[in-house]
Amino acid sequence: MYELKTLLPQFDIKLPTCMYHLKNVSLAADSLASGSSTSASTSASTSSCKLEANRIDRTGRNAATCALDLDSLGRQIQRLLKDDTASVAARQEKVLKQLEDLKAQLGQIRAGLGVCGKTFQHTTAFQNGGLKEVPLQDVVINGHPNFIPYALLALKNAWRDLYTIDVKTFTHSTMADIGPAAREFEANLAKVPVNPALPKISVTLIWKNCEHTEMISSPTMYVPIYGEVNIIRYLGRVGPAQYRYEGSPLCNEIDLVLDICYQLLRCNTHKTQVAMVRLLDKRLQKQQYFGGAQMSVADIGVYSSLIRMPAVTEKDLTPALVAWRKRAKLVVQI
Amino acid sequence: MVEEKENVANGEQVSKKGAKKLAKAAKKAEQKAENASAAAANNAGGDSAEDHAAGRYGLSEMIQSKDKRSERNFVPVSELSGQVGKGLVWVRGRVHTSRAKGKQCFLILRQQSSTVQCILAVGDVISKQMVKFAGNIPKESIIDIQAKPVAVSSKIESCTEQSLELSVEQIFVISQAKAQLPLQIEDASRPENAEDAEGLNIRVNQDTRLDNRVLDLRTPANQAIFRLEAGVCRLFRDILTEQGFTEIHTPKIISAASEGGANVFTVSYFKDSAYLAQSPQLYKQMAIAADFDKVYTVGAVFRAEDSNTHRHLTEFVGLDLEMAFKYHYHEVLHTIGNTFTSIFKGLRDNYAKEIESVSQQYKVDAFKFLEPPLILQFADGVAMLREAGVETGDEEDLSTPNEKLLGRLVKAKYDTDFYILDKFPLAIRPFYTMPDPNNPVYSNSYDMFMRGEEIMSGAQRIHDPEYLIERAKHHGIDTSKIAAYIESFRYGCPPHAGGGIGMERVVMLYLGLDNIRKTSMFPRDPKRLTP
Repeated sequence: MYELKTLLPQFDIKLPTCMYHLKNVSLAADSLASGSSTSASTSASTSSCKLEANRIDRTGRNAATCALDLDSLGRQIQRLLKDDTASVAARQEKVLKQLEDLKAQLGQIRAGLGVCGKTFQHTTAFQNGGLKEVPLQDVVINGHPNFIPYALLALKNAWRDLYTIDVKTFTHSTMADIGPAAREFEANLAKVPVNPALPKISVTLIWKNCEHTEMISSPTMYVPIYGEVNIIRYLGRVGPAQYRYEGSPLCNEIDLVLDICYQLLRCNTHKTQVAMVRLLDKRLQKQQYFGGAQMSVADIGVYSSLIRMPAVTEKDLTPALVAWRKRAKLVVQI
Repeated sequence: MVEEKENVANGEQVSKKGAKKLAKAAKKAEQKAENASAAAANNAGGDSAEDHAAGRYGLSEMIQSKDKRSERNFVPVSELSGQVGKGLVWVRGRVHTSRAKGKQCFLILRQQSSTVQCILAVGDVISKQMVKFAGNIPKESIIDIQAKPVAVSSKIESCTEQSLELSVEQIFVISQAKAQLPLQIEDASRPENAEDAEGLNIRVNQDTRLDNRVLDLRTPANQAIFRLEAGVCRLFRDILTEQGFTEIHTPKIISAASEGGANVFTVSYFKDSAYLAQSPQLYKQMAIAADFDKVYTVGAVFRAEDSNTHRHLTEFVGLDLEMAFKYHYHEVLHTIGNTFTSIFKGLRDNYAKEIESVSQQYKVDAFKFLEPPLILQFADGVAMLREAGVETGDEEDLSTPNEKLLGRLVKAKYDTDFYILDKFPLAIRPFYTMPDPNNPVYSNSYDMFMRGEEIMSGAQRIHDPEYLIERAKHHGIDTSKIAAYIESFRYGCPPHAGGGIGMERVVMLYLGLDNIRKTSMFPRDPKRLTP
């Protein structure tokens, strides 16, 4: 690149002697000049300050040389501000007092009408940038008892202090008996304590004789979401801020790991499963968790997928994965 | 003049031509006579020769319990497949169809839902007369046959017993049917196949069916429907008895209309008049106050509503239950919900054959439900409707189209045909409903839906007499008319709740049929009093 020459060189304004000085018509400036405080807005006062400064500057310059004497200018502005700080402060005080009066009036009106003063906003502080959080519409997950969605329990445990997933289980009429593993899963779901102060989402889990694990959010726009991994993605989006990965730079990494989980769940033979595990190991490398130093939905995905694969034993996992699994187990507690 | 000539010709010799003609005619006559005699001989020979089967067929005399005939072992048609190759058996059934062709007769024997093919062929055992007799038996007659079950090489598609046929040796008619039937069973059991344009489209009108109910009930689908209905009652009784309920029977002739006077039938009662009970509500509650704790009743309910719809009858069977609870009416709600789920499971597991029979004629969508039953709040239901674009108020009752739409939405989301709506608004419930203590807009009442149609309306009842008077006044009801009702709560009554369902409606919705008259054996509606 090349440097541009300055278009406007510094030059001095030589005031012609044939012109005469106009008196300042602005009332604010006049009152300012007279030194009395008004209820002018601060912006007007600053502009009038500027005018005043210009005037002083001009008069000052008339006396001084062509070059801008920054020091003297600064000193003059300082003097102005010092004089006016008190008035500005006084004005601020007055405005604040007026606000207080208004608030008291509103409170009286509210009490008179008998309207409750509380709003529906949760009182706990969130790092959500001031977004108003309302309970999300409940979702329905249809799953086969042979393919238990452990991710639900994993998320419930991982988020127990941040967010509540309220799961209610039902058995569909197409399913005669759900089996002991599913019943144990239901019991474990019920064991997780619920904190009523946290935001929550209601999930209805229906054991059904269906092919894929699917999730239905709204009956009118019937667009089912297939696959446990995609359900993890959806819940990650609506869950606590710490697990929302879409804005983070690790977004692609986490998605990649979740995709590997999806494929892992569809592997039939032991060989293909081990191949997938090796892929996972490559993604993990030396990190604490998949996707960095913090637990994320990727870890949830890998953990719950591995539970569904009892054929993948400790032998098939690399030592890094074994260590990771121990770490994750502390959070997930399955 | 001509006459003279002829006379002359006749009297004198016959001409040559004439002689030839005469000879021809004579020959013809001779041939004819010969044939006739030969035929007569044949016939005579047939009649007399093949009467060897005389004692093995015919019209049996009216059974007046003259003989015991206990040596004859009768086998039901459904068990015939186990009797193949084991010798002769006796079977009693109806003639479904019979077709005689020359030396053979094919007869289809029907017994309730099973049909089997019977064959009579002229031979040593069977005579020609017997075959002719079998071919002429009117349809729907009751017959006894002694036959040998034989296996067939190719499946008989038109019968339920497809792998065997009966080779008949004796056939007797026990009860002969009229030759002209008002409706054909075959037509009445034909499925409604809208797509098959080629197939026969003869179907029987509902009115014709109901007028000749005796014949109409013989179709396999109807046999199955009413056996399923019996199953519903049996499961209802068994499940509740297991949970400690007692069956009671409430009076149907009552002195005062309990819920609004407009919909009751009046009967003349000696010098006065009385009413037919609209629901056993009052008596159920009195039984609870009488310390029976958990009661149920199965009995007739009479509603004098002039509604000519597909789901209203003037008389139907009500399955009602009432239960005292400790602290929360949800104890009762869950009991009722679980009872329903158990009934559905019982039907699914034990009556699969009947459901299959019905689906041969009427299209049946398998009934889906969740366990434990799905319970939604009324407010949630309204929210779902609003999300679907329907405008309805917070306290507005669900209109029939809204009910159906909500049913479809719940089906789309949860894939269940049965669900419960809890906490209805107080304004639309009767005066004896207990209001919700936490929210005065709502009440402790619930409705249950099957396939989007309401089957039960229930609630926690007010058991405090003073509060009951207050609520009655609020609804503008004259307390003097219900004095007896209020009186029953003055001697200490536990908190209780319950509900009632219509048996016919439950069966109709379980099977997905379109008209309640199909599930009522002899239906009564504003236009029908017979049979």
